[in-house]
Amino acid sequence: METSAKMNGDRFYWGVDCGSTQIKVCVCDGEGNILHKRKGRTLFPLMEHVRKTLAGDESALSPLTDDQQGVKENHTVVATGYGRNHIEFAQGKLTEISAHFLGAQRLLQLDVPYTIVDIGGQDSKVIEVHDGRVGQFVINRKCAAGTGAFIEELAHRLEVRLEDLTELARAHDKDMTLNSYCTVFSGQEVIKILMHGERLENLIHALYASVVQRILEMTSISTDTVVFSGGVMNFNPVLLDLFRDKLPGNQTVLIDDAQYCGAYGAALYASGLAEKQAQKFSQSEISAKLATQAEHTS
Amino acid sequence: MDMKQVMKDYFLDLDQAARDPDRKVAWCTSVGPAEILRAMGFEVFFPENHGAMLGATRICMDTIPTANAFGYSPDICSYLTSDVGAYLKGITPLTKAYGIESIPRPDVLVYNTNQCKDVMHWFEYFAREFDAPVFGIHPPAHLPKVEASHVADVVAQFEDLIGLLEQIQNRPLDPENLRRTCALSKEATDLWAEVLETATARPSPLTFFDGTIYMGPIVVLRGTEIARDYYRSLLAGLKKKVLAHEAAVPGEAKRIYWDGMPVWGRLRSLSELFKNNNACVVASTYCNSWIFADFDPDDPLPSMARAYLKIFINRNDRYKEDYIRKLVDEYAIDGVVFHEAKTCPNNSNSQYNLPARLRKSGIPAVIINGDLCDLRCFSDEQSSTVIEAFVETL
Repeated sequence: METSAKMNGDRFYWGVDCGSTQIKVCVCDGEGNILHKRKGRTLFPLMEHVRKTLAGDESALSPLTDDQQGVKENHTVVATGYGRNHIEFAQGKLTEISAHFLGAQRLLQLDVPYTIVDIGGQDSKVIEVHDGRVGQFVINRKCAAGTGAFIEELAHRLEVRLEDLTELARAHDKDMTLNSYCTVFSGQEVIKILMHGERLENLIHALYASVVQRILEMTSISTDTVVFSGGVMNFNPVLLDLFRDKLPGNQTVLIDDAQYCGAYGAALYASGLAEKQAQKFSQSEISAKLATQAEHTS
Repeated sequence: MDMKQVMKDYFLDLDQAARDPDRKVAWCTSVGPAEILRAMGFEVFFPENHGAMLGATRICMDTIPTANAFGYSPDICSYLTSDVGAYLKGITPLTKAYGIESIPRPDVLVYNTNQCKDVMHWFEYFAREFDAPVFGIHPPAHLPKVEASHVADVVAQFEDLIGLLEQIQNRPLDPENLRRTCALSKEATDLWAEVLETATARPSPLTFFDGTIYMGPIVVLRGTEIARDYYRSLLAGLKKKVLAHEAAVPGEAKRIYWDGMPVWGRLRSLSELFKNNNACVVASTYCNSWIFADFDPDDPLPSMARAYLKIFINRNDRYKEDYIRKLVDEYAIDGVVFHEAKTCPNNSNSQYNLPARLRKSGIPAVIINGDLCDLRCFSDEQSSTVIEAFVETL
């Protein structure tokens, strides 16, 4: 999908999705073509790592000025994700809900109502899209159950590497149910089940099943089409299998490189292409919003 | 009139009354029969107001854990746990604000379960601590409609209460005092209603967050000339703002309804959040809860019974839904934010499908999880994302 960067004279639009575990960056041209995608870990001091991710390696296209304190004239940067308010030089920001919607709308070009399920590092979102606009949306309640943090926490307890989870889950020979309400309850249950000698493979499969259950408890999905976004879906394909089992009557789509969907949405927002995609933000609204946000952050 | 001075004078006078053997102090729930207490010559202290102060100053984050460790669950009313914890620790926000050493010792405690049953546990605790009499009004609850039999029931309870108060004061209730107090309450509450209605103007001259501050006198000074005079003055100022198109949120683009309790420890940040997103919270269930249109000085006890039975929190879900729909219409609301307060299920209206029903009829609605006082139940990041996304999608 990446193409070589266009150089001087062109405008570049950057989306920075600063999540709880990863900083995802996407740059596109004025037509919404993706020029680069890259990511880095969310580490602290945050801005140091954001700058590092934006700059890429020495030959990479970067929106940053030579001193890395500001943004070059022909670049626009919009931030999204939980860290969106902390990206000092971003000219605009929008929430992950809008960003994932804009990204999914452009990438999939769906003209039917659909539901986006975005499982992130520390929260999960279910977003309904009708007539090319966001309808209702829900974010998981207080507990981390049903999020990437939940998977990481239990993998850590089980002393299993994250990259081994898929293979282990696929080797399960029994369906089990784990508590989907609370991470601590689930953790306690895992220990108890292991003490009874249960196979690790079955437990890991149950862990994934509890994430799916938790998402489906958040709201009833009313659309025929369900779109999956976010890094957790990307790196844990068992989740998609389980969702497909639970939603047999729905058409399910996993966005390519789903972890970049939010960053891409933010880049589209920056470019003003959102207007064409969503008929929701007009170009003038975006300009006004960017100006207002710049004022608030200055 | 200066709001800070009004509240300062109220608390200083209350503190003096508590030290004066010739004056008596009654504790009362915020939508309890304050008029009867005032008419009987009591100075009235409202523990919920104290709970809100503990929340707004965030002192509660030290006092709630103390009450939890003492045996009051983190899942019950955090006004109660904030207040009991403060008492156990021997602290009060009144010290820093007004130089007052402690909350006023009660001569009697009067609660009304028209809002919830936690007030009963709360007042009973302090009645034991201060060895003071406690009286509970237990009205019929969750009413679809307020019937004559409900009113008669509450009037009978008021009469029992008056009997107790007459014993404490060693004198009978002066009916003229009650009539006058009820008239002053009626004037103040009508003015408060008008204050809130100024937010129907576009742009609105005030926000829900302003309202949570302006409401002090209607909670603690009902039945006094001070409350009436304060709201006259406030209303005049707001009317001028309306005429001058002075906006509480410059560039007001979206108008929001807030259901549920305030998040007292986050008033400022939430206010800023809406403001930065050009959204004005113009109406709320909470501020409207102190509009008692039924007060009638010529028929004080039955009219007070009716007014205190009719409050939003004491009604059934259908009434609540119709009420919110009416305000959505009157205030030209673009969307409703439901605050689901962890420790206040009785004043959280998002848990029985109401937001979904509103959405189904085209009224956008969203839920944030939080609490009135206990900030352990509130995520700034998650709430900001939900609110910002909601405004983006309106």
